[in-house]
Amino acid sequence: MKIGLEIHVQLPTRSKLFCSCPTTADEPNSSVCPTCLGFPGSRPVLNRRALEMAVQIARFLECRVASEIWFSRKTYFYPDLPKHFQITQYDSPVGVDGSFVVGGRSIGIWRVHVEEDPGRIKRVGRSGEEVSLIDYNRSGIPLVEIVTAPDLTSPDEARNFLNELLVELRHIIGTTASDEQSVRADANISLGEERVEVKNVQGLKNLERALKFEASRQQKLLEAGMRVVRETRRFDEERKVTLSAREKELEEDYGYIGEPDLGVYDLSRISAGLLEVETPLRRAQRMSAHYVVDYDKARQVVLTSMAMADLFEALANAVDPEVAMNWTLGPISANWELLLPRMNDQSTKEIVEVVQLVVGRQITDSEGRRRIGAIAMGECPTDISCAVQDEALGSLINDYLNEHPQVVRDHASNPKAANAVIGHVMKVAKGKYNSQEIVEATRKEIERRTS
Amino acid sequence: MSCSPTPERLIQLNERFRIFCEMAEDLSGLQDYPPRPTFSAKDNLCAMGFQARAGSRILEGYRPPFDATPVWRMRQEGMLLLGKTNMDEFGFGTFSTNSGYDVPRNPFDAGRACGGSSGGAAAATSLLEGHVALGVSTGGSISCPASFCGVLGLTPTYGRVSRYGLIDYGNSLDKVGLMTRDSGSLRTWLPVISGPDPKDPTSCVQPMLDLSPRKVERVAVPLEAMQNLGSGVESSFASALKSLQDDHDILVEEVSMPSLKFALSAYYVLATSEASTNLARYCGMRFGVRNSNISQHFNDFFSETRSANFGTEAKRRILLGTYARMVGFRDRYYMKALAVRQLVISEYKRVLNDHDLVLTPTMPFIAPRFADIEKMRPLEAYQADFLTVPPNLAGLPHLSLPCGYIEGMPVGMQAVAPHWEERALLDIAERWTSKFQMRFPEVAR
Repeated sequence: MKIGLEIHVQLPTRSKLFCSCPTTADEPNSSVCPTCLGFPGSRPVLNRRALEMAVQIARFLECRVASEIWFSRKTYFYPDLPKHFQITQYDSPVGVDGSFVVGGRSIGIWRVHVEEDPGRIKRVGRSGEEVSLIDYNRSGIPLVEIVTAPDLTSPDEARNFLNELLVELRHIIGTTASDEQSVRADANISLGEERVEVKNVQGLKNLERALKFEASRQQKLLEAGMRVVRETRRFDEERKVTLSAREKELEEDYGYIGEPDLGVYDLSRISAGLLEVETPLRRAQRMSAHYVVDYDKARQVVLTSMAMADLFEALANAVDPEVAMNWTLGPISANWELLLPRMNDQSTKEIVEVVQLVVGRQITDSEGRRRIGAIAMGECPTDISCAVQDEALGSLINDYLNEHPQVVRDHASNPKAANAVIGHVMKVAKGKYNSQEIVEATRKEIERRTS
Repeated sequence: MSCSPTPERLIQLNERFRIFCEMAEDLSGLQDYPPRPTFSAKDNLCAMGFQARAGSRILEGYRPPFDATPVWRMRQEGMLLLGKTNMDEFGFGTFSTNSGYDVPRNPFDAGRACGGSSGGAAAATSLLEGHVALGVSTGGSISCPASFCGVLGLTPTYGRVSRYGLIDYGNSLDKVGLMTRDSGSLRTWLPVISGPDPKDPTSCVQPMLDLSPRKVERVAVPLEAMQNLGSGVESSFASALKSLQDDHDILVEEVSMPSLKFALSAYYVLATSEASTNLARYCGMRFGVRNSNISQHFNDFFSETRSANFGTEAKRRILLGTYARMVGFRDRYYMKALAVRQLVISEYKRVLNDHDLVLTPTMPFIAPRFADIEKMRPLEAYQADFLTVPPNLAGLPHLSLPCGYIEGMPVGMQAVAPHWEERALLDIAERWTSKFQMRFPEVAR
């Protein structure tokens, strides 16, 4: 099976690609101007930030980045396209011939280019009496189009590819998870000789569904000895099937010409001013290799937060990286929501010290955990008042064990007996202590009583 | 400033010569004392308070929400905008006979054309003393009507004047310029409309306008331009050249510019290619005319609107341009035309290396009668532009100035200067008009 993707991602610039309209708006048709409505006499002025983002993406995808680029007009008639031509790039994309590694396989990237988004059509009313409404707020929002080689071999891999790509893009250009809902892809898929294009699939889930449906449809045709017709299909999100596109799109001719209102842009100058950024998954790979820790764990750290990865690296440079990882994914992760807004050089130093004390056996594991909890609460880790919390936890456990001595008895044969304590404390303390802490304290108390 | 016409007089002139496709409703400014200087804008330049229809029925009722930058800059100087001057639909024509809103008449002979596509602008300039008309040239639309109506027509370097608010014909060729009766007005108003404008990136790469003296000493006359000229034009131009040498001490040299003969074909390929994309937006949906039933498939709706409201020449150029952009033809036509443009530019560069100007007649004939225009085939009309197209294709500044009269009708000559050297054109305009007796139409009151 061969699958190739054309992926469209909106670039999170503040204003549109060719005018100063904001890219965010509540009311339909409220963020529009003569330029993005294509009024006669209006003219495009390039938003350089969008071009910078595209260059960053092309460099990240290891493309050859052009030294200069220009724009082209792609002409077609559709009500959501105000000028009836889209300003895009045809013969001078920002980048070509790149690659992106997913699951150990290198997927070819044919090109990366910038273009403007058309408006959005909404069909309302009952079938047969449908009315089309057009919202031009989206018209002119910058898009980057990424075209892959047909190197993907399954719907699963395609989804995974897109997912990993989006993780990286999120970090490079600052898209958010909600932006990713609006990621659109055209997918080419072929099981036999002829390829079928499934157009304009929105979001990751739909992409996988559309490809799965299309793969099994083609499979059945081929098994029945029939031919797959080369065609364009669309994905019906509700019925989760692909359907032959109504309109014939036989080798559509867009009649590309250069966009004369925009000049030639020197990318080498733009490129020189951009800093190289390390993306989350690349960082996970580096951490895994450099500190010799499990890749999946490193990945979990970077996907939680790059700040957590910073903390992990600080720890891994101070103590055994394996220990650093356990503390990162253990107590630090458990307190992360509170820790994240407090992360700075000072708190990093404090946490490193705590873990070093534990490793040096100067404090116990549970005291280490307690101190990290204290740092998360913005309290002094060695402050005595912090310890009260711990005492409070200790007395909750003690009280419960005093009332339920069978728990201590059963624990020897069945460690799960301790769960009753944990459940009780969680309930009574209403989440004041995290489960790790409770488990640890309970285990210690039972051990004390049985030893 | 010179005397302005009374509102009544202006209305009367307009009824007779169809200068404007829309006149200012309030003309009371004409009676201010001291009188306010007046200007007009070609109908393809957006101006608040007026429709902007570019001579096309498809833009009926379109009122732009902004001023074109050159219009805005003129208004900032206190100029009174009299109205929008008539033109060939979207600039598609040589005689202003392709307008959706009547046809302007030549002030020297109402049975003849004004030229095009800035026909109304030239007629206004010819008829109204002290008037400044904003014209637009894509392939000669300032030079041609200036020549036919006996006025000065200045087309600046491509990129000198902002195109913000200009309704596009061919964006890589369109230039806003001036039509005036005297060279002093050119010197006054060119700096006003020139200069970078952030709203048009192509205007932001210009060197500053320099109008310090540049004396024209040596001019080139390409042999290739001297073919297929009407006999009257040929002799008028020849005596003008003689006068330049005898009265102005300018050295006139014949040169050969073989690539000029390719310019016309390249121009029509590029201009129609760009035009066919520019005109795609006119479909009756967001602005302009709305006279089709909206509850049909969008394709049918668009086709109906476009079939009913574009004129014949607009349709012809859309088809030509679409054809030239098609897969399989793109390389043969569009890409080749781009290469020819470079060839023409380098040929001008070569000649202008040791000459201050290239001189030719502006049009091969005087303003034709409407009856004769009707008999012309489209290709014959296109060929009439063979002298005005080359500098336009090359983006070079040029000026048409009256150089003689045949049968009472003006003959024009065209001077082409190097990129950004508008000052050489002002020099020739000032020196030539200091000795040449310009005539203006004697219009019965």
